[in-house]
Amino acid sequence: MIGCYDFCAHYEWTFDWLEREGGPALVRDYWQDAIYRDSQRHARELIQREGFEGMAKYWGHTLAEESPDLGFAITRGPEVFRIDMHDCPSKGFLLRNGLQSYGDYCDHCMGWVGPLMREAGFTIDHEHNHRGQCWWELRPASATGGHAPPGEVAGAKDVRLRPDWNAPDAIFDRYLKATDPDDKQR
Amino acid sequence: MAAGSALPYRDTKPQGSADFYFATNATFRFLIQRVGLEGWRRYLGDLGRGYFEPVNRAWRAGGLPAVARYWRDFFAAEPGAEAEVRESADRVEMHVKVCPAIKHLRAGGREIVREYCQHCHLLGAARAESAGLTMRLRGGNGACVHTYALPAAALPPQDPAQIAEATA
Repeated sequence: MIGCYDFCAHYEWTFDWLEREGGPALVRDYWQDAIYRDSQRHARELIQREGFEGMAKYWGHTLAEESPDLGFAITRGPEVFRIDMHDCPSKGFLLRNGLQSYGDYCDHCMGWVGPLMREAGFTIDHEHNHRGQCWWELRPASATGGHAPPGEVAGAKDVRLRPDWNAPDAIFDRYLKATDPDDKQR
Repeated sequence: MAAGSALPYRDTKPQGSADFYFATNATFRFLIQRVGLEGWRRYLGDLGRGYFEPVNRAWRAGGLPAVARYWRDFFAAEPGAEAEVRESADRVEMHVKVCPAIKHLRAGGREIVREYCQHCHLLGAARAESAGLTMRLRGGNGACVHTYALPAAALPPQDPAQIAEATA
């Protein structure tokens, strides 16, 4: 039986299998069709129906379940929904157990959250350092301006204020006003 | 997972998140649609021989006691599972009274891939073969019995009709 205790590990292994089978396009289709449209349909329904309130319900539940020691912070403003991930339960599982089959596991988040936000009418500013730390700012697609400077939205919970955010082994990927996994800037 | 667990990986919480069963079901549906049933079967075989190699290796080294220990720890880490592991001289049987995946998929109102329960045999057989064992499955659709046996047990071939189709 395929279990859920090690889900992130065989999920990551599956990305590599898919890439060998059908190239990057098949991996991208998997994130969009299997994860976003099928597995995470409860997220889609909540967020498309309720916007920021739906995001709070979805991520409030799923992050609390996956990360009971609350290695994350959610902050809401009138025009922004922000997540600061200090200890990603998913990437953290891989790092703690020394697992890597696929090139960049972190791509999967934008792979399914990107299409979700595009269809729900939001845009994404996002940055991760491949050390299980990242931040997301989700705004209505009509919003103007860039993402907030460190601390402005989340205060002391802003992951960018951590002394280890810029650790020597940190490699940063950034998405600016994006909803497409291929919009990655490094 | 507690120290001394037979599971190969460690997490900070004692059990996984049941919503991940949604993703496994969706992965199967995607694979069957995109690479066909044969492709899905190949995926499970590759997963069993590749991803699970650390466990297969432990089974090869530790024999049936290692198999029994693994499955006890495995089901303890799966939320909602009710399973009993029985050991005898030539086999280990897991009597799954409540499959946590089928239970959660039903509770979530998900359309379950009808071949879902076949994955336990396709994956289990690949893992068993890598460990020098044989594996058979009977039942499914929420409750089943997995048997991992020594070759000397001479289990009859897997009867596909003994694996139930999964339903909502």
